[in-house]
Amino acid sequence: MNQAEVSQLVSKLRIRINPRHKNLKCPEGPQGRLNKLRKTVNALFKYERLELNYTLADETRGYAERLISEAIRHGDTHKPTMEMADYWIEEKQLIHKLFKVLVPRFNDYQTSYTMLYRAPKAYPEIVYPRSVLELRGNPFPAILPQRSDQRNFIHNVLLDEAKKAYRAEKYEEITKSLEEQRDE
Amino acid sequence: MSKIMKRTVFDLPSSFRITFGGPMVLQSRTAHNVRAPRIKYPLWYLQRERAKDDQQLTGDNRAFVKEAVHDKFGMPAVIHGISTYDVRSPLSEDSVECLNVEWNPKLQRTGLIARKLGNYPMWLDNGKSVLSTLLQVIDNHVIKYIPPGEFNPPRKPYSCPNHKKPLGCLLVGAESADPQYFTKQYCGLFYREGMMPKKYLGRFMVSPEAALQPGTPLLASHFRPGDFIDVRGKTIDRGFQGVMKRHGFHGMPATHGVTKSHRRGGNVGHGGEKGRIFPGTKMPGHMGNRYRLHKGAEILRINHKYNVIWIKGIASPGKTNSIVYLYDTILPLRKHKSPPPFPTSKVADDDQLIDSYKEHVYKFTDQTITYEEDK
Amino acid sequence: MLLKTLNFHRFKCGFAPVLRASRLFSNSPPSDVQQPSDESISGKQVKPERKSVVPSNSRFIYPEFLPDPKIEWRNSLREKLERMDMIQRRKHIDIPEFYVGSIMAVSSSNQHAPNKATRFVGICIQRLGCGLRANFTLRNVIKHVGTEMKYQLYDPTIQKIEVLRLEKRLDDELLYLRDAPNEYSTFDENMEVEYLPEGAPVPVNPEMVKLKPRPWRARWERKNMKGLADLGLEDRFYERAEELATPWEKYDLMKQYRKTIPEEEQKEIFAEVYSELHEVEVMRKKLKRKKVFIKPTKNV
Repeated sequence: MNQAEVSQLVSKLRIRINPRHKNLKCPEGPQGRLNKLRKTVNALFKYERLELNYTLADETRGYAERLISEAIRHGDTHKPTMEMADYWIEEKQLIHKLFKVLVPRFNDYQTSYTMLYRAPKAYPEIVYPRSVLELRGNPFPAILPQRSDQRNFIHNVLLDEAKKAYRAEKYEEITKSLEEQRDE
Repeated sequence: MSKIMKRTVFDLPSSFRITFGGPMVLQSRTAHNVRAPRIKYPLWYLQRERAKDDQQLTGDNRAFVKEAVHDKFGMPAVIHGISTYDVRSPLSEDSVECLNVEWNPKLQRTGLIARKLGNYPMWLDNGKSVLSTLLQVIDNHVIKYIPPGEFNPPRKPYSCPNHKKPLGCLLVGAESADPQYFTKQYCGLFYREGMMPKKYLGRFMVSPEAALQPGTPLLASHFRPGDFIDVRGKTIDRGFQGVMKRHGFHGMPATHGVTKSHRRGGNVGHGGEKGRIFPGTKMPGHMGNRYRLHKGAEILRINHKYNVIWIKGIASPGKTNSIVYLYDTILPLRKHKSPPPFPTSKVADDDQLIDSYKEHVYKFTDQTITYEEDK
Repeated sequence: MLLKTLNFHRFKCGFAPVLRASRLFSNSPPSDVQQPSDESISGKQVKPERKSVVPSNSRFIYPEFLPDPKIEWRNSLREKLERMDMIQRRKHIDIPEFYVGSIMAVSSSNQHAPNKATRFVGICIQRLGCGLRANFTLRNVIKHVGTEMKYQLYDPTIQKIEVLRLEKRLDDELLYLRDAPNEYSTFDENMEVEYLPEGAPVPVNPEMVKLKPRPWRARWERKNMKGLADLGLEDRFYERAEELATPWEKYDLMKQYRKTIPEEEQKEIFAEVYSELHEVEVMRKKLKRKKVFIKPTKNV
């Protein structure tokens, strides 16, 4: 049995965490793995939306979320956090973006800071599952179509009518029972 | 005549081999030309999950569907530490004949469906520490009873000594769930009994005397502390493994001239007449992900508030949070000595009793263990 | 808003990591630890005035109440039942606050000892495990033989746990004392209890240990121990240690995350157990006062 580490306190992430890290193909070992992830984390903060292989995107997501949550938790005056940001963000002007743009943006969020979508693959060239990773609140048009005509779909119309009938029946029952009570 | 015989032979499963005596012995080597039994699924073997698609429901409509579900079945509630639904009409009309029979050792009771919670140590009264596994009985209800005459499984329990006993089939479900997530045909299994669909189903062979009404809740008090149970579950999938991990071989030395075979199994065959590999030789291969039975586990403690059973030992198959099935043990020397709750325990009215322990198990509410001086 | 409160929390934890438990208990108002369970999720809406009564350093005093962070092995109900059992046991035995480096005495029932009980004094060199499996190891030199005893914290045969000298060392594990000369781990069996002034922080003993020459039980030059004096090795040892070092691991945010229990979950856990622990503490204080009262009458 292991014991939880108590030396430092972290905020809870609002994403699903895999029990174990995923292996990325990396001849340089664990250090190379972090270097690989560093590139994508940096690119995510720069472009706010990326198309990646699913494994890489899923791994990157955790690190980006942790970095943002640390920045929100400690602010830019905390030395270890700044050191961490310095390691993970290669283009140093993006550190300013993290603390001055992203932290105010995500400060009041109750959800995760990033989104991960599954993307189609280009058959037959690409065999690995692809995905789209983005920061929430980005300036690009939404990936999922925003259906404004939802309520005109046939099943929604039918359900609306059913709801009205159901409610009417319920009210009738209630009034009946009330009347019975009065009579008694 | 021969035609009829041929048909009978063909239609029987390969395991049901008829010996005609004398020269006409159907040997197992020629069994390949006997057709395998046609797989006939039981009636509850249905497509369970609905295809996942975004139905594009509006928020109002989604709330309405939820409301209708709750009106029909009951509001969501936490009962015995499990988030489930407060179902109002569990017991339907008497569809099953209840024979008020006293328990005797030949009768077979139903089992339970449980979730494995993990393990932690317990102590005995003499200060000895034992590891225990926690099993939670998760919201079990009887779904259906099929009497012995009507139940006709595709594979008969031929090797089981009980096959001559007429046994009925009791279908038990565990963990209620929102019917929106299941197919219509799967929900239909539960519809007549007025129950919510269950996430897990289990089939238990019971004596007709131990049959239960559909809708009867099954609790952890079905067993008593000190009883022995069998735990059936799916072992952890370990993938393709070598002989050292799979069969516990010792491997070969690390040095002394050994090259490239430190973890290999060594010789697998003989020479001459026996110059082949015998069937069943232990070799590398897929390990785990099989149903296995942990027999004769002793119950140390039962928590009636959360329906948790502590059993001695950590050998029960499966990961933490996996589903296991609990039965009365089949080991002849560990069967019930005194009558257990038959056909099952009743729902207790008073919630006074929370924990019940086996004899000689240390209760955490007890004083520190001290030994008396020898005289 | 939350940022400020969080910073405040951090400040408290970071700079005054360990206060005396007793002081904290006496300061905090009793009972009513009912916290909204979803506070962690809707943290933003919670007003800053409604601060939890649970002291922020509980995780150092009761580390075994935090579950194993391995995700595959976690189950909330099992953890809850385990915590309930632990509290039941704590009602019968005083498990004081202690750290690796503290000098402790443990009396436990022993069937083979003359008085059916033994007392062992030693320095705590390791503290492991969580839940009912929590254990600690004491080390002492008895008759010129290094002796170690591993005790389960919640073992019902343990009669008494005393902390003779409450202090910390520079490291979280003092296993290197096995390779050190006997003077470093020799403690008097009849040692008196050294009391700390009420409310004082736990002192850190900055003692540097000088190991015996090699061979050792582990390659200490590779372990980054703060409490080891110069090891006096050849250069090749340090070069190899540098080759094998993993300096990037401190930047692996997810690895850290998988080893810890997040703050929100910790708050929930301690909010659940704190009221009970507090009650136990108050009970014990009352008993102590009674004992103190009895003593002078005996003398008279």
